[in-house]
Amino acid sequence: MLFKLLKAERMKLRRSPVWTAFILMPIVPAVLGTVNYLGNSEILTSEWYSLWTQHTLFTCYFFLPIMIGIYCSYIMRLEQNNRNWNKTLTMPSPKWMVFTSKLIITAFMILISEIWIGALFIISGRLIGMGGALPLRETAVWCLFGTLGGTVMAAAQLVISMLVKSFALPVGLAFAGGISGLVFLVKDLGHIWPYSLMAYGMNSNSPQQMMESGYVPFIIICIVYIALFTAAGGIILSKKEM
Amino acid sequence: MIRLLKCELIKMRRRYVFLSLLAVTAAGLVFSLYGDYSGPGSGFTIKNGWLLFLYQLPLVNGIFFPIAAAVTASRLADAEHKGSAFKQLFAAEKRGRIYDAKLITGLVTMLLSVLIYWVVILVFGIAVGFEGEPPMGLYLRYLACIAAPTAVIYFFQHGLSMLFKNQAASFFAGVIGTFAGVFSMFLPQFPALRNSLPWGLYGAMQFIGLFGWTQETRYEFAYFEMMHTEPAAYAAAAVYAAVFYALGKYMFCRKEI
Repeated sequence: MLFKLLKAERMKLRRSPVWTAFILMPIVPAVLGTVNYLGNSEILTSEWYSLWTQHTLFTCYFFLPIMIGIYCSYIMRLEQNNRNWNKTLTMPSPKWMVFTSKLIITAFMILISEIWIGALFIISGRLIGMGGALPLRETAVWCLFGTLGGTVMAAAQLVISMLVKSFALPVGLAFAGGISGLVFLVKDLGHIWPYSLMAYGMNSNSPQQMMESGYVPFIIICIVYIALFTAAGGIILSKKEM
Repeated sequence: MIRLLKCELIKMRRRYVFLSLLAVTAAGLVFSLYGDYSGPGSGFTIKNGWLLFLYQLPLVNGIFFPIAAAVTASRLADAEHKGSAFKQLFAAEKRGRIYDAKLITGLVTMLLSVLIYWVVILVFGIAVGFEGEPPMGLYLRYLACIAAPTAVIYFFQHGLSMLFKNQAASFFAGVIGTFAGVFSMFLPQFPALRNSLPWGLYGAMQFIGLFGWTQETRYEFAYFEMMHTEPAAYAAAAVYAAVFYALGKYMFCRKEI
């Protein structure tokens, strides 16, 4: 059933240009972040790690949360338009699965975006002649954990977009969420706040931070949040007049 | 036009457009004002607070006001897209006038939030006890330097939001532009980049610079000074505003609904 729902979600998004933004957006920090790194290479001395912070710092706090917010708003908007919820919710499938299928589609988009961010990071590092071994393993871990943290944010945003029948307001909330994520990270609480988990997972502020504290607690917290938001989404879909 | 503006105000009722804008402005203020103002390391901030704000805030403005513009333009245009109301409106009024009425409503709301932001910054500086009187001349110039790029970006966002039923398009364009604008402020070696991007105008119009800061001595010998700003930035703002307005209105008037 879940696969059928996923197929339906994919069909709804076919010919929608929304995915192009996830491809275009990471190019901006990759180009300008690399130029900025070259301009400040006497201060940024950690080579690959420094380049990673330049590529991802603003992406994680401000721009990727907004992109996720827009994507979630768009996905929910498809159902809110023309009373499509009536058709979707009369399908013989559990309500939580409807929510989960939307979450998986969003998580896939975040994963594509993260892979692209990682690829641009490696390419630009090589282009500017950065020495040393390629941090392939670290990049893969940062991107995967960024996806996991981003999925938590997406789950929260899907619930918000489902409740608030407006396109712009949930995007504004995603933006505020990204800022709150920054505050929580500054206060060393980045590992418990849903909106800071992506930046924490991507190690955008201090690339060695999570490697020291371990991955397991991070994964557990992300899974718990995703389960909670999915349950909330399922309950809202079952109980609330959509 | 007055009648149309009244209609817009009525449509805004209970849509919390101004409230959403205030929320983004409030988030911007929290982000702008967060800092150490009373600790042992706050001496430099208290002594140079007024100029420090003029140096630091354009970057924050370049993040928050473009997003606020995208949210406001989308909220106003979406009211018509969602209810498929443009067809009815076009039967009652000229398209260009509808475009203008919405633009004026959104622009005034945006500029009001800029003004609120500016007043709060001044009041905060006085409350915290920044040394000396607030340099009102510089702060009035700063107000103009945040209002102008915000207006230019609003023209852009308004055009996109009115043209595209899918509000994701206008949001994505705004976010990618904001991103490029923010990065352009970190690249002072490329002034053309800031001048050529509407979102980079916040940085291009910045007129206070920090000098004497080094990694070793940090703020010990640091000082603020007026910087030369390229006249091209002001010209670019005027050209962009005219182009975005004319192009947006032209396309909207010819759009098939």
